[in-house]
Amino acid sequence: MNKLYIFLKYFFIVVWTVFVIAPFLWALTTSFKDFQSVNGGVTYIPWVDFEPNLEGWKVLIKSPAKGGVDIIEPYFNSLFVTCTASLISIILGTLSAYALSRYTFKAGFVKNNDITFFFISQRIMPPIVLSIPFFLFLSSINLLDSLTGLIVVYIVLLMPIAVWIMVDFFNKVPREIDETALIDGCNPYQAFLKVVLPNSIPGLIVAGMFCIIFGWIDFFFAFILTFTEVQLLPVKIVALNSSVTPWWSLSASALVSVAPLIIVAFIVERYLSKGNLSGAIK
Amino acid sequence: MAKIDLSNISHSYNPNDPNPVFALNPFSMTWENGNRYAILGPSGCGKTTMLNIVSGLVRPSAGRILFDDKDVTDLKTEDRNIAQVFQFPVIYNTMTVYENLAFPLKCRDFSKSKTDERVNSVAETLNLKSFLNSPARKLTADQKQLISLGRGLVREDVAAVLMDEPLTVIDPDLKFRLRRNLKEINEQYKTTLVYVTHDQNEAMTFADNIIVMSEGEVVQTGSPKELFERPNTTFVGYFIGSPAMNLFESEVSSNDSVKINNNLIKTRTNLSNIKTKNIKLGIRSEFIKIAQNQNENLINVNVEKVEDLGNYKLITAKMGNFTIKSKVTRETEIPSQNVKLHIPAEKCCVYEDNKLI
Repeated sequence: MNKLYIFLKYFFIVVWTVFVIAPFLWALTTSFKDFQSVNGGVTYIPWVDFEPNLEGWKVLIKSPAKGGVDIIEPYFNSLFVTCTASLISIILGTLSAYALSRYTFKAGFVKNNDITFFFISQRIMPPIVLSIPFFLFLSSINLLDSLTGLIVVYIVLLMPIAVWIMVDFFNKVPREIDETALIDGCNPYQAFLKVVLPNSIPGLIVAGMFCIIFGWIDFFFAFILTFTEVQLLPVKIVALNSSVTPWWSLSASALVSVAPLIIVAFIVERYLSKGNLSGAIK
Repeated sequence: MAKIDLSNISHSYNPNDPNPVFALNPFSMTWENGNRYAILGPSGCGKTTMLNIVSGLVRPSAGRILFDDKDVTDLKTEDRNIAQVFQFPVIYNTMTVYENLAFPLKCRDFSKSKTDERVNSVAETLNLKSFLNSPARKLTADQKQLISLGRGLVREDVAAVLMDEPLTVIDPDLKFRLRRNLKEINEQYKTTLVYVTHDQNEAMTFADNIIVMSEGEVVQTGSPKELFERPNTTFVGYFIGSPAMNLFESEVSSNDSVKINNNLIKTRTNLSNIKTKNIKLGIRSEFIKIAQNQNENLINVNVEKVEDLGNYKLITAKMGNFTIKSKVTRETEIPSQNVKLHIPAEKCCVYEDNKLI
């Protein structure tokens, strides 16, 4: 019974691991193939099944004039937009979440829960609903096709995630901790900055992770709100496609674009395993 | 260190409602500097509200609070110089034990050497010395509560240290030692300590003044002896003491005696001004003994059971519909039939409408 259990456990772990890793391995080998190796029957092992070459990678950084796409600038654009928008969203979101968790707001029938729901409702709508208003809005303030415009839009999209996660997190931090800080002699701002915020680092990390992921992977708004001046990575990668699908360069760009998220995942995982995310009180 | 006056304080959590519910009914009280007080009452009787009003976490709906005759009703918590310890440990997770204990001093700009001295002294008292450099979150629940307590005690000049059932999570052995430590701290530094509890033993052993509360009302304030021997109301008689005070429905028969189940019981109370029929006689089970050679205040009872509770025996007896409990020494011989119990007149409390006459 026990042996069967262990066998099944490892069996499913292995199956799942293969399921997760196989696409990466596929993308990795494909990125080193040429047209012949991709279309001339199934091949797996470099140097044995096919002769690896760097053509798929070269087009990513070669100048556009020679048929490449040059993803370096879009890559840094994406990094800049995602990080800036995430940072601002986390700051604004955390402040609003703390207020929503600790103070009572009332405007007619609108109360704290309704305000929190309003934030979340921004993410319930299909993005297409927001596309035209955003387009008109950015065009009216002359921010279409600019990094600033994208950052503004991304803050609107990411802040609800931060508010949502942080309200929930702050609600789980007992009020007594704020009250103790007041009794110990902090004013409410110091209590927030010195006591509540350091205790909320786990929540901040989770919220930050979600903001970065959702900001990084967005294609839709980056596609609609930019044209020629500014381009983000997902849009540029789509531009790689042509009448003959270049599997090798698509694979290479997929690996490059997923790399920052893998780094984020590793950092967060480190932090998780250090036990810093365990319950703050009691 | 301060004398704390609560003057006509009352509090409602829905003061704007047409029918506000009062968590605390109007009361006035003075806490003298350097005394130990216990606020005792069942859950939900307003004990915590009272503490929060003193610390400034709650602003009372009416009334004033004075620290050393200075009105602090509108002063913010952080400006009141008061310490409060909650029922469950509250620690600053990201700090070490030392930083936790030093935090109240750091917020008030104490010098490094003074902080060191105070933190070490408190850590010594609370047995936290060997943990000073460990991260606070790594400690056990009762050690964490010691940190909370330590943060309350680290400032010598606080107006008072308010403790809201602080020893709930601490095991009995340590509890006993800590209560003694708190007493020592109080005697050494003359810090006013206010201790909220629903456990009468805790209140009795800790405080020199006990404030008994029930349903938002301060029912009686007094020393443990006063509360035990002369409870102001039947509630106090029932709530304090184990077993609870014996209470019998009775009729007035003369100016100083009542009748229970046709037994005449003399009291030391003047009963000439009684207006109602709702009269109860209260007597502690500690004072009821098996009759030896007395010839008055005797009642005949049927003994139902005798429990040996280690250091004493508890007799449960019946007299008509009344149940009587009596605590006697272990050596006492209890006859099986025709038991006569003696009720000493000087220990009788007579209650009219549940209030002591």
